[in-house]
Amino acid sequence: MIELINVCKYYPSKLGRQYVFNNLNFTIPGGHNIALLGKNGAGKSTLFRLLAGSEYPNQGQVTTPYNISWPVALATGVHPKMTGRENTRFIGRVNGVTDLEYYEERVKQFAELKQKYDLPVRTYSSGMRSRLAFACCIAIDFDIYLIDEAISVGDPKFRRKTKHALLNKSKTSNVIMVSHELDDVRLFCDSAILIQHGQLSFFNDLEQAIDIYEAN
Amino acid sequence: MAQVKARAPVKVWQDVVFAIFIREIRSKFDDKVGISWAVIQPVSFIFILSFIRGRMDGGLTHTMPTFIFMMYGMIMIQLFLSTLASTATAIHRNKALFSFRQVQPLSAVMANALFEILVKVAVIIVLWVAVYFIGVEMRLDDPLMVLLMLLNVWLLAASLGLIMALAKEFVVEIDKIRNLITRPMFFISGVFFSLQDISEQYWPFLNWNPLVHSIELSRQAAYSGYQAQGVSLTYLNLTTMMLLITALIFYQLSWRQVVSR
Repeated sequence: MIELINVCKYYPSKLGRQYVFNNLNFTIPGGHNIALLGKNGAGKSTLFRLLAGSEYPNQGQVTTPYNISWPVALATGVHPKMTGRENTRFIGRVNGVTDLEYYEERVKQFAELKQKYDLPVRTYSSGMRSRLAFACCIAIDFDIYLIDEAISVGDPKFRRKTKHALLNKSKTSNVIMVSHELDDVRLFCDSAILIQHGQLSFFNDLEQAIDIYEAN
Repeated sequence: MAQVKARAPVKVWQDVVFAIFIREIRSKFDDKVGISWAVIQPVSFIFILSFIRGRMDGGLTHTMPTFIFMMYGMIMIQLFLSTLASTATAIHRNKALFSFRQVQPLSAVMANALFEILVKVAVIIVLWVAVYFIGVEMRLDDPLMVLLMLLNVWLLAASLGLIMALAKEFVVEIDKIRNLITRPMFFISGVFFSLQDISEQYWPFLNWNPLVHSIELSRQAAYSGYQAQGVSLTYLNLTTMMLLITALIFYQLSWRQVVSR
């Protein structure tokens, strides 16, 4: 359960405040794998970042008893001058991983970087970078995983592995997902939140939400 | 899968500052000389300049060896300038990290400030050994006072750095202004002179600057016969405290916006 209480979020601009959410009160129920659906610019990413604690509302608060991952998309917080292993340790430390050595090995295995794991990230291809970032996240036990387009990185083989890992995860913990790929959404999620005009509505049935989303 | 432990807030801060600390070291010093350069560079700069100046008049400046006189000034100003430069850019450089809920802008500033003071401690130790070997008479009458001065300068620089790092997120030009105002600091802070050398009517142009106070007072503390004039410990302490409080208030008011940008 994640509670949004009186949340206001705006971005200042030359044309005044651009409100994404104004006085939003909403409870995201626990125990669901949820897809965030909405048009471009509806506020999916903003909501996502608010949930992750990457950004803070201008007013109000977001509270939850859960341990939530960071938004995995792209290579968040990965430093090009450090090796894959050092980056992993950094992320592990920040998140309070108990056994860093074990965590390092898990990530190495999952990201399939082999000996490149000990080379600076700037020598990686972009696919390898995203693989590292995704592995860093999936190797930590979170209650809720926030997944962007991260599942569409890498080659087909890695993509299959990602999906498999995520499906396994979604049995024990939950996933909140932003994706325009409805196939992915159908695979992982059982319910949805539709974002329209700064308001959220929860749908227990994913298909129902998709119908409304596509009709608009 | 890797377990995550529930941590007390203090522990989270500790872990994050430590993690950023390591990250800064790894990313700043990735060539062959590595981290030793952080010490070698200021040591050689301070040593050469102090040595030349010491040789030029070859004797004493207000009862203390000119070499030591210069060294105090150089160490203080270097501590100030390098801490200011690295803390003032800390937030901007580590922007990507604020995606992690645990990382707040202040932890990046703290990690950088911590790094700078540790480097300067190493620099001071190396210089001390060097002074011992070249046989200059070295006195340290009031070591606690010297430490207090170092702490003052460090806090002063870190507070200013925090203010500028935050301001930079709202006003991009702040970096240019910082460069403009730090350039003359080297020459007006009493590194090369003492307030005693200057006639009293010109003091107001110089003694607004807390660095003049800290440098003079640290020389005074090391050589009690130095007789520093026109400087005040109270003024220095109050300035530091005011700046620190201002910086923290500014931080408290603005860090959420800074993270959002």
